[in-house]
Amino acid sequence: MDTNGDSAASGKYITLVSRDGWEFVVLREATMISPTIKGMLRGQFAEAKTGRCTFPEISGVILEKVVEYFQFWYKNQDKEDVSDMDIPVELCLELLVAADYFGLDKQY
Amino acid sequence: MSSRPSRIRPVRRPIINKETSEFEPCWQTIRDALVDIHKQNAGRLSFEHLYRTSYKIVLLRKGDLLYERVKEFEEEWFRDHIMPRIADLISPNLVNVAFVQPPTASAHERRHMGESFLRGIRDAWQDHNTSMNMVADILMYLDRAYTSSTKNASIYTATLGLFRDHILKNSLGTASTDREHPFLVFDILNAVMLDLINLERDGHVIDRNLLRTISSMLEDLYETDEEIEHQKLYLTVFEPRYIENSSVFYRNECEKFLRDSDASSWLRHTRRRLMEEQDRCETTISILTSDKIARVVQTDLFLSRMDEFLAMEGSGLRSMIDNDRLEDLTILYQLISQVDRTKTPLMVPLQSRVMELGLEIEQTLKNTDFSVPATGAGAEGEDGDAAEKGKSQTLTAAAQQTAAAIKWVDDVLQLKDKFDNFWANCFDKDIMIQSAITKSFSDFINMFPRSSEFVSLFIDDNLKRGIRGKTEAEVDVVLDKAIVLLRYLTDRDLFERYYQKHLARRLLHGKSEIHTEKEMVLRMKSEMGKIFTSKFEGMFKDMELSKDLTDKYRDHISSLGDVDTKKIDLNISLLTTNNWPPEVMGRNVNQEEGTKLECTYPSGIKRLQESFFKYYLKDRSGRVITWVGSAGSADIKCVFPKVPGKESGPLSKERRYELHVSTYGMIVLLLFNDLGDGETLSFEEIQAQTNIPHVDLTRTLASLSIAPKARVLLKNPTTKNIKPTDTFSFNSQFVSRTIKIKAPIISSLSKVEGDDERKETEKKNDQTRAHVVDAAIVRIMKQRKQLSHTQLTTEVITQLAGRFKPDVSLIKKRIEDLLVREYLERVEGESAYKYLA
Repeated sequence: MDTNGDSAASGKYITLVSRDGWEFVVLREATMISPTIKGMLRGQFAEAKTGRCTFPEISGVILEKVVEYFQFWYKNQDKEDVSDMDIPVELCLELLVAADYFGLDKQY
Repeated sequence: MSSRPSRIRPVRRPIINKETSEFEPCWQTIRDALVDIHKQNAGRLSFEHLYRTSYKIVLLRKGDLLYERVKEFEEEWFRDHIMPRIADLISPNLVNVAFVQPPTASAHERRHMGESFLRGIRDAWQDHNTSMNMVADILMYLDRAYTSSTKNASIYTATLGLFRDHILKNSLGTASTDREHPFLVFDILNAVMLDLINLERDGHVIDRNLLRTISSMLEDLYETDEEIEHQKLYLTVFEPRYIENSSVFYRNECEKFLRDSDASSWLRHTRRRLMEEQDRCETTISILTSDKIARVVQTDLFLSRMDEFLAMEGSGLRSMIDNDRLEDLTILYQLISQVDRTKTPLMVPLQSRVMELGLEIEQTLKNTDFSVPATGAGAEGEDGDAAEKGKSQTLTAAAQQTAAAIKWVDDVLQLKDKFDNFWANCFDKDIMIQSAITKSFSDFINMFPRSSEFVSLFIDDNLKRGIRGKTEAEVDVVLDKAIVLLRYLTDRDLFERYYQKHLARRLLHGKSEIHTEKEMVLRMKSEMGKIFTSKFEGMFKDMELSKDLTDKYRDHISSLGDVDTKKIDLNISLLTTNNWPPEVMGRNVNQEEGTKLECTYPSGIKRLQESFFKYYLKDRSGRVITWVGSAGSADIKCVFPKVPGKESGPLSKERRYELHVSTYGMIVLLLFNDLGDGETLSFEEIQAQTNIPHVDLTRTLASLSIAPKARVLLKNPTTKNIKPTDTFSFNSQFVSRTIKIKAPIISSLSKVEGDDERKETEKKNDQTRAHVVDAAIVRIMKQRKQLSHTQLTTEVITQLAGRFKPDVSLIKKRIEDLLVREYLERVEGESAYKYLA
């Protein structure tokens, strides 16, 4: 998918910002698993222009786990028999909500 | 997962708090964003914010409301911002262009107006499409959580569909209702596109990309939001009108060409139009239409009046064939094979033209023949007796007839070359066309009653010419062609008969090269099978054995030291009866006269014959040799003494010549050896002494007393015909420039048969056929025991197909005959037969 709509946003990395101010610099391609971020970056919206996405309702703890998942998916997308990612039980409800928000439900 | 006991953290729900839990404020956010998107101000919007807003609305279970509100917004947007601009483009002039035929505005004006209208539509569409993509993105969660659980189309599809309902299917209010027939924007769009395409067909330059964009818009829009593949607006609305419009256009064009032009330019034009339409589908409209529009051109421009074009005087199919217009034929073939797998429209006229040209050859032949034998016929008339007509005249007439035969074959071959050339260069070596042409050739060749004879004569002529300095390669080519013709013949048995006769003459008189002969027969063998050539091969074998025998006999004689026979050198051709044609074997004569006739040989010759026979029987007992005088030849050394009283000139000296004559000629001449000066012999006396058959004697005497080069006998009276009352004497004054003289030997010339001979040959052939059919019937019945009449007839025809095509009546007759001879019996109550062992 062509994500390079704008010169400012065509960088290899994008920045994800949490409610509490944590910033995560992620490989753009790794975030493409999320249709939400994908849509965010392909149109002509502010995020696409700046390459910076702010999520005012997601905490740094959760966003970190989400980013971890992006990387995990990116590294292992073509492999078989990959062991599951470690999910702390206490975060799982919040993560489910975040997964829904990021559209991570129907991918694999 | 983890052994450490831990409490699951509850989800904190800042999403559903007081400030943001109301629908209306959320909707307001979205609505403002929609306006910005349409105004291309999306850059200042946060996607996350909008996404989250719609996400919340969905979580509030207000997805349906959002869905409807978005649609309402778009409808409003069209009404307030888009339609006014489009309506401005639809000037009354444009409406006139679209609905008044023929258009009154100039081409330039029409193009200009049409293109700006299309540009307006295109821009509106492209804006809408871009915006809807963005809207669909921010409303992603709506599709995911709400739309997919209902029967509604996705928000993108639904909003895109609005363009169809509110722009294309907009009826424009008063602008349209004022008219007799209200119309939609879509109608104008179609009309403008068609008008532009027709302008291009007439040679104007139009904005192809613009049309292409509009076409893909119509491909992206569907009749309903279900987006069923075959319900693209392009297919349901535009294409049918396009096809109909094109059909009218090409029908008119076809009429125009029929009126003003010729078949050749029509063909080229049709080809060009087909390519143009193909190109148009690729660059201007849609590839979806390419097959359909090709069919329109094929049907309306090509097929509808094809017969009339092909029948055109001077440029139609006939002219293409006659003048070798290869390119025209190529185009024609290509076009026809696109429309008709059977290619009947090409094949049928092609076949009939082959037939016509074939029959023309025959006709030309008849016309040329007419003048030639006319003189001969006149001479015959005086005489009243065909058998005794003048020899020299017969010769020329015969030679010319032979020439006609060769001309026929040459012409047929030329015609064949012509059509082969078409086939290879124009018709893509099409197998169906090949067999069609072959069939027509076969038809007209077999309609010509003398084809078998002529083909054999043609081969005869070429094999004889092979000696006369034609290169082997050239002969090869001709022989190949002869084989081609042979393939066409259905009456192969008749050909076999003629070929046997002609081959016999060539072999016995050493007229051709034996290896070329063998080569020819080899080719026939591979073409027609072993049985067909067995007799010819037998003849070759006879010739080889004879040569061997002659050598051995000569050795034998010289070992005896027999001085007496030394003077006569004997060359034997020992022929096996069955392999050689009956005419050569002298059987013909025997049958006619009813008695076993053998001419009386002079004693010297007789002694030689006896000596050879004795030698021959030494190794083989119980054999019989019949001496066939009519087939042989002899070299005679003759001495013409000095003529008394002549002191100068050639007559004053003794002259020695070597005379080449037929065997009969030799016998006759030897009679004159015993005669005194001035003595004569009458025709009847000669016949009585020699016992040579009447016809042969006539010929022999004619060759010795009429042909000027070899007139060693004087005839009284000196007419050009031989009559039984004529008398002959030794021509002591004979002079020749050359030492070796050849008396024309009539039997060595292969010539066209006269009508009587021909009937004779056919009669004999029919007799043979009767036997062949008999044999086939018996063979079949022996195997099958019982067969119905029809089955038997079919079987016989199949079995004999390689040799000839038997008449059904002939088969019936032969069956009757076999019934009488009790080979078969009828099965009672059925039309069937049983074999009797």
